[in-house]
Formats: sequence, structure tokens, C-alpha cells
Amino acid sequence: MEKQMIISIGREYGSGGHEIAERISKKYNLPIYDHNFLDELCQKKNLDKNLLAEFDEAKINKLFSRTVKGLNNSPAYNVANLQFEFLKDLAEEGKSFIVVGRCSEYVLRNYDALFSVFIYSNPKARAERLSKKLHITEKEATNMMYLKDAKRKKYHDAHSPIRWGKPKGYDLCIDSSSLGIDKTLDLLCSYIDIKYC
Amino acid sequence: MLAQVLATVIFLAMFILIVTEIWERHVITLACALLTLILVFGVGMHSLPAIIETVNIHSIFTQGFWITTGESSGHSSGINWETIVFIFGMMVMVEGMAHTGFFRWLCMKIAKLVNYKVSSIFLTFMILSAFLAMFIDSITVILFLAAVTIELSQLLKFNPVPLILAEIFCANLGGSATMCGDPPNIIIGTSFGYSFTDFITNTGIIAGISLIFTIVYFYFVFHKQLEKVGTDVDPSTFPTPESAITNKTKFIFSTIIFLCAIILLVTHAQTGLTVSFIGTVIAIVTLIASGKDAITLIKKVDYKTLLFFIGLFVVVGGLEQTGILEILAGLIGKMSGGNVMLMIAIIIWISAICSAFIDNIPFAATMIPVISSLAATHGIDLSVLSWTLAMGTDIGGSATPIGASANVVGIATAAKSGHIIKWGRYCKIMAPATIIVIFISMITIYLRYF
Repeated sequence: MEKQMIISIGREYGSGGHEIAERISKKYNLPIYDHNFLDELCQKKNLDKNLLAEFDEAKINKLFSRTVKGLNNSPAYNVANLQFEFLKDLAEEGKSFIVVGRCSEYVLRNYDALFSVFIYSNPKARAERLSKKLHITEKEATNMMYLKDAKRKKYHDAHSPIRWGKPKGYDLCIDSSSLGIDKTLDLLCSYIDIKYC
Repeated sequence: MLAQVLATVIFLAMFILIVTEIWERHVITLACALLTLILVFGVGMHSLPAIIETVNIHSIFTQGFWITTGESSGHSSGINWETIVFIFGMMVMVEGMAHTGFFRWLCMKIAKLVNYKVSSIFLTFMILSAFLAMFIDSITVILFLAAVTIELSQLLKFNPVPLILAEIFCANLGGSATMCGDPPNIIIGTSFGYSFTDFITNTGIIAGISLIFTIVYFYFVFHKQLEKVGTDVDPSTFPTPESAITNKTKFIFSTIIFLCAIILLVTHAQTGLTVSFIGTVIAIVTLIASGKDAITLIKKVDYKTLLFFIGLFVVVGGLEQTGILEILAGLIGKMSGGNVMLMIAIIIWISAICSAFIDNIPFAATMIPVISSLAATHGIDLSVLSWTLAMGTDIGGSATPIGASANVVGIATAAKSGHIIKWGRYCKIMAPATIIVIFISMITIYLRYF
């Protein structure tokens, strides 16, 4: 039986984290969970995907929600927990997979098969990359970057006691602008080979 | 003046902190209570008697705390220990019942009795929700009803959201019918010395009339969704109601204790036993009947809620002792120009609107001295204002997802199984129902008491 591989990739917007995740997925033939996450979850539980997607990686609005006996009625909180349970079920079933974001490095921290990495990059490199990819100006890219990162941070920090991107929460943190996407990928693959082989 | 400013600032800070949920609400009220004792009573008023009166420990050692002779004697100042002791007793009893599987058994039994027909489950669960909430806290009622509703929805393949929404509304409505149904009623009842019978013959009648309209309303809103449900499911494969019972002997005991508690509550005006006496007795009997599980039950009691109440009473006591609430009462009196019917309208609608967004327990605790003052200064029957306040605070909470604890529990239970109820959807269904019932309550109060 093959060794279980769970790879959690946290990423700054524009750092190339998603591209790296896709390339690792291809190389090791592992399913990847990111935006498609809810499709499988909703199909499995016969739920309304559009409704749940509205609250995917969304922040919890404390003013419009309350907690009673440990139960919170915020849609964002509950959608996140549904995803966390789904991830734990996959891990419990012994499946190998890659998950992008979704606080997965914290949710799956108790599984030995987990390798968690946070990919960041300097703001200039990210803005340049986004500008080319999305055909927007660097200023627009920078604004977009800060908004997306703020959203991800809020989502992450609402569910994890360890702050988003803090080295303590991950096995590895890497600056993709230092080596470039290809070399960063090579380095991560080496790590994966050592850990799982 | 300094004491008044301090009391108001502490009270407002407490409300804001409760809404933001930065700390747990019992921590907030206890911290604010401590500030009230030190700053308001100590620094502002230099009054030891005010502290003694607000902490109110001495009341526990009076005969009137346990048994009343003749006219019941209520009080509205400081910590209402009668409420605390009664809620503690009910919590122990409810934990005992839940431990034996009583609530799950009851829900499954009713579903089986109506042959698992979804429209019948919809109707019976609404009535069950209202009935149980008359005697048990609405959080527990919804916790079990919503869980069973979701289980049935998976077996019978229907959307549980309409049922859960209707159950939430009926739980809040049922709670308004009796003295022990909803915390504001317990506080009102113990503060003014009203009995279970007083409530059932006043708010109970209003709730009963409203329940008929509520059932009709929810049927019209949801009947199309319920009719679409298929019936090609074999119920013989469903779990039996008996499978919910964890221990048959303890189950029988807990059912008997529950029935005795109802009898004691219904007759307490005649027997002279106070709700604190009843709460203490049912807690002791439940613990004895639970045997080895007694420690588990004691541990499961929601002490945080009890501490929340204690802190809250002290903070409200600060407002009361400094005369702030009399000023508020004066404002309401001025707004209504001494017109009692207008005063009723103001109290019921303001209570309902405020309870839709903020916790109705602190609101009711704050309003009790206000209506007491209004009744005294304008020569109005205090009981009429009490029923008005009870209906406004109990029903208003249904309008929004954060208005009452039962709403939070119901929505969260549905969401845990993937059935997300957004604010918009919730309010679109529940706000009109709330407005209808508040309107019915106001009209009934006008017709009956004027």
C-alpha cells in the first residue's frame, strides 16, 4: 500500500502558490482541492453549491452572528467547518491529496501524513506576475493583492490560533520570488520525496 | 450625577461587549458587575446599603424565598436569586431528561404516530415545540427538535429548513405562554411575584391565539415545498423511537419528575411553594434518581449562563439605584403623554424591536424597574405592563437570526448539516410572523384590559 500524502499549501495572492500546487498535483498524480472543493462536498451531501460558494473562505461577521452553547450561526463559520470535516474525512479514509488554503495546515495538523508549506513572495514580484497574468496594471494588481490577502488572513485567523503565514504554523515557508516558480517547485518536490519515500 | 454617568457607561459597555463577543458573555457581565460595585456604589454613591441590597444574598435566608404565605411578595432590585435557583433546578432536570433520551424519543414517537408524513410532522413538531418550550428552555427544545428534523429529512428526503424555522418561532412563542418558558418571564414573574397561573391566563391566552395564526401563516408560506416531498420511502427501515432511550428505568423516572415539575409549577400559587423551592426540589430528586450519573449532570449544568445572570442583575441594579431607570420611565411616560394605550404600544414595539437585535434577558431585566415606575407614577395596572413587556421581549427575538438563543441553535444545527440559512431568507419568513404576533398581542391586550 502506498504511503498517504497530504500536502497543504498556503499562499499569498500572486505568489504562484496555486500554480505550484497544480504542478505538484500533476507530478505525483494527486487530486487537488481548491475552488472545486465545494463541488464534491455538495455532490456528496446533496447540498446547494451556489449557496455554500457564497461563503467559501469568507470572514465571519461577528456583528450578525452569535454563539450559544458552542454553536455559531454564521454561514461563513459553518461552511468552513463543513469543509474542515470533509478534509478530515478524506484524511481519515487514508486518501492522498493536495489542498490549497482553507486553513488546512491547522485543521489537518494531527495527521502524520501532512506536509504543510506557506508560499510567499515580495510584493513587487507578485504585482508583476499578476499584472502579466490578468492583463492589468501593476497598481491594480497591488490593490487586488492586498484585498485578497486581507480576506485570506481574516478567514484563516478566525479558525486557527496560529496567524496566517507565521512560520510556526507550517513545516516550511518559502519565498517563491527568491528562486523563481520552477526552482521553488523543485525544492518542494525534493522535500516531498524525502518525507514520503 | 457621577454615579449615574458611571452606571450608564458600564451598562452600555456591557451591551456592546456582549454583541461583539470579544469575551464570553458571563465574563463581560461579571466584570461589569464588579465595576458597578466599585465605581457606581463605592466611588459614586459611597453607599454600602446599595451594595448589600443589590447583591441581595440575605433574600435567600428569608421564608418568602422558599414559601409564600398569602400574597406573593416580589422584588425587583439587585440579584434575583429566585430566578438563578429556579433556572439551575430546571437545567439539572433537563440534563437528566436529555441523558435518558427523552426528547429524541418524544420526537421520533410523534413522527411515527403521524406515519412519517412530512406535512403532519411539520404541524405536530410546531405544536410540540410550543408545548415543550412552555416548561423547558427553548435552547434545549430546538437542540433536539432540529436534530431529529434533520435526521428525518435525510431519511424522508425533504428540505429541513422550513420545519426548523417554524419550530424556532413556535419555541419562542411557547416560551411566552408561561412563567418558566423564557428567562424574561421568569425574571418578570419573580420580580413582581406573579404565579404560573397568572402567566398562563394572560400571556398564555395571547400565545394560544397567536399559535393558531402562526400555524396558518407557516402553512401558507411553506405548503408548496412540503407538497413536493416524495412518499416512496419504507419507514420500517427507520430507527425506532425506543432506540433513543438509553436507560429505561431512568427514562421513566425522568418523565415522572418532569410531570411532577409541571404539576408543582401549575399549582404553586395554591401551594405557596416558590419557584426557587420547586427548582431546588426537582434538582435534588433528579440527582438522586440519576444515581451514578449525578456527577455528570452537575458538570453539564450551564454555569456560564447562571453567572451571566448574576453579573447582569448587578449592572441593572446600578442603573436602578442611581435612578437612571426612573428617568427612562419618565421619558416613556412623556412620549405617551399619559395615554396608557399608547404606552402599551410603545413598550411592546420597542421591546420587540430591541429584542430582535440584542439579548432579550438584559433588556427585560432593565425594563422591569422601568415598568414598575411607570405603573406607580401613572396609576396603571402593573400586570398589564408586565404581560406587554413579556410578549414584546419573548416574541421580538424571533425576527432575526441573532434575536434569541433558540434561533442561533436552530440555524447552527441546520448549517452543520449544510443547510445554510442566510439573514435575508430568515428575516423574509420570520419578521412578518413576528410582526403579526406582536400585532395580535397588542390588540388582545387592548381588547382584554381596556
